Amino acid sequence: MSKKILILVLVVVVVGALALYLTRTSAPEATTDATNFKIGLVTGTVSQNEDEYRGAEAAIAKYPGLIKHVTYPDNFMQEQETFIAQVTGLAADPEVKAIIINQAVPGTVAAVRRVRETRPDMIFIVGEPHEDPPLVEPAVDVSFMPDQWARGKTIPQLAKEMGATALLHYSFPRHMSMAQLAERRDIMKAECEELGITFVDVNAPDPMGEGGLPAAQQFILEDVPRQVAKYGKNIALFSTNCGMQEPLIAAAMQTGAIFPEQCCPSPTHGYPGALALEITDEIKGNFPAILKAIDQKVKESGGAGRFATWPVATGYLHSIGGVEVAKLALEGKLDLNDIEAVAKVMGEAADTAMELTRLSDNGNFYMYTCDSYIFGK
Amino acid sequence: MTAPKITPQTLPDKTTEKTPQGSHLDRILGEMSVPIFFALLCFIGIIAADLSPRFLVNEIITRLARNSFLVLSLIIPVIAGLGLNFGIVIGAMSGQAALIIITHLGIGGLPGFLLAALISVPFSVTLGWLTGQVLNRAKGREMVTGYILGFFANGLYQLVFLVLVGTLIPMNNPKLMLSSGIGLRNTIDLIAVNRALDNALFNSVKLGAFKVPWATFLVIGLLCLFTSYFTKTKLGQQMRAVGQDMHIAEVSGINVNRTRLIAIIISTVLGAWGQLIYLQNIGTFNTYNSHEQVGMFSIAALLIGGASISKATIWNALLGVLLFHTLFVVSPLAGQRILGIPQVGEYFRSFLAYGIIAVSLALHAWQSRKKVESKDKG
Repeated sequence: MSKKILILVLVVVVVGALALYLTRTSAPEATTDATNFKIGLVTGTVSQNEDEYRGAEAAIAKYPGLIKHVTYPDNFMQEQETFIAQVTGLAADPEVKAIIINQAVPGTVAAVRRVRETRPDMIFIVGEPHEDPPLVEPAVDVSFMPDQWARGKTIPQLAKEMGATALLHYSFPRHMSMAQLAERRDIMKAECEELGITFVDVNAPDPMGEGGLPAAQQFILEDVPRQVAKYGKNIALFSTNCGMQEPLIAAAMQTGAIFPEQCCPSPTHGYPGALALEITDEIKGNFPAILKAIDQKVKESGGAGRFATWPVATGYLHSIGGVEVAKLALEGKLDLNDIEAVAKVMGEAADTAMELTRLSDNGNFYMYTCDSYIFGK
Repeated sequence: MTAPKITPQTLPDKTTEKTPQGSHLDRILGEMSVPIFFALLCFIGIIAADLSPRFLVNEIITRLARNSFLVLSLIIPVIAGLGLNFGIVIGAMSGQAALIIITHLGIGGLPGFLLAALISVPFSVTLGWLTGQVLNRAKGREMVTGYILGFFANGLYQLVFLVLVGTLIPMNNPKLMLSSGIGLRNTIDLIAVNRALDNALFNSVKLGAFKVPWATFLVIGLLCLFTSYFTKTKLGQQMRAVGQDMHIAEVSGINVNRTRLIAIIISTVLGAWGQLIYLQNIGTFNTYNSHEQVGMFSIAALLIGGASISKATIWNALLGVLLFHTLFVVSPLAGQRILGIPQVGEYFRSFLAYGIIAVSLALHAWQSRKKVESKDKG
């Protein structure tokens, strides 16, 4: 008997779906006009990464009606199927001609391949790929990622420009087992030697360790004054961990040390918390306004010329810059293989000069660095 | 001696039979309340999401093919009284190990897939045997033990593929391994076996506008037949007896531990094959994370199909996959349409997805309490 009910339930669902199918007016399949296109945009939610979501909002405000915005699951490591369905769902709309995935969480390559089975012409632009770069590179049209190797040189150079005589690198074994981060530290060390700066490597507690993030933050607050007492005020502070940025900025402010850049450079990373800056509704998602507000606070606290960052958050830039690149490419005004042209478009979106390099000649995997913004200058 | 014993037992039985018969619809509504509730949710979701029907049907066909095998692999342990086998995560790991091996050897297509299925057997049998040994020592607490075993096995899996590969296990494959020569990269490309099974049979035959993975459905059908046949064999009947009451089974001469062990081994092997089917459809895999999602979602689908920790059928599994995944497809867009903000779609979906798992567990608890009460009354 229960089997019959089961079948009944099944029938209800199927008939319901079919009824919907029949009563709907036929989908506008024929609108494949070159000028009439939409851009799909997949970002995280604000609880996962606020910058990329605000970037999407800014792009939607700039081009109303052009963008279809969906979000990937917060729990993206466990819910790959949902993420893939979100991307294929965007591609099911024949008007969508390009899809931007920011960040390109695991499952991106699978999703791209699935879409290309039915829509081989779809343009894919991804930001911050989580999957292995050599795998992502040929699968998508364009990838964007900060250039960690280049930052190994730019950070010491910036520190020296800001007057540093020493550069302090806070990290821990778990991070140093990540190839990119370990290689960046080695490059930093070599660059420091070349510039005549003392390189100081300090092992901090792992925030994933038994003490958790509070222990790591406590360590930073206690250790910075010790290091400043040892090496003097002109020591530049850097840490590989996101959670350490806020105490690091606060400690630099107190001791008068230099803070050239966060692990993930952005005005919204660490600064608002460390400076007790309130992000009001007026300046939310507006990076020039946020920069101005931080500038003001840094000057008031007497840290002018000692603090810097990139003028735009990478997550925000990937959303808004990705839309610009996709739009121009669809209009036929931009060649995605032309690194100079892409750099120009991204630079305009970021409102600063950007330098792009390729991962390899296998595709358009662009890695970039931005010009820094030094507060109070 | 026996005659008087039987008569008083049969008498109350008759009376209890009468009461549910009087409210037959009530009983079915009670039993099927979870699937009915979800069918309603799906229906509302489909209307609210306003998806292209073609996309929806396509997505549901894909997901039925992808997940049914995994969910079906949970049925035998339920019959044997082991509850929901969170240990299929361990089976999934064996399947992945086999996939890593065939990718390293560079064998693709259907032969590669079949070889992976073969290679996964010794791994999953060994691991299933070990799991069964542990679960036999944790009778009555199988589910939580299996869940934690999954975490433990995850640690072992990471140890093997992140540290031992390239050190203790000699392997040299720059495409699969990290640049340091120790450990595997975090993504493995399965392009060689991508859709190997899905496209193996009647590749060009379409059902209307929809491409159907016939071979995968055939394999799922075979598993359904096997499961229903298996429950009728002597071993299957023994499992049923063990599932109903371990002590009575023990007294009547069934080797309880052995029977439970076999149930877990079968489930683990099927879990490994299920993961192979799942991954050949997806086409890439996250070396260190793909298996994590398996246990939780398969179990949720089975529960939504109307199964409980003591009773599960093939129909529960198939209906569960259909309902659970329909809801997963429509709920993000439904949330977005109803409230107009993209990220609310995601919150709505996770609220629904995890909320419903809790609700279905609560409904089952409520039903089983009701059953006990009605028994007491009888």
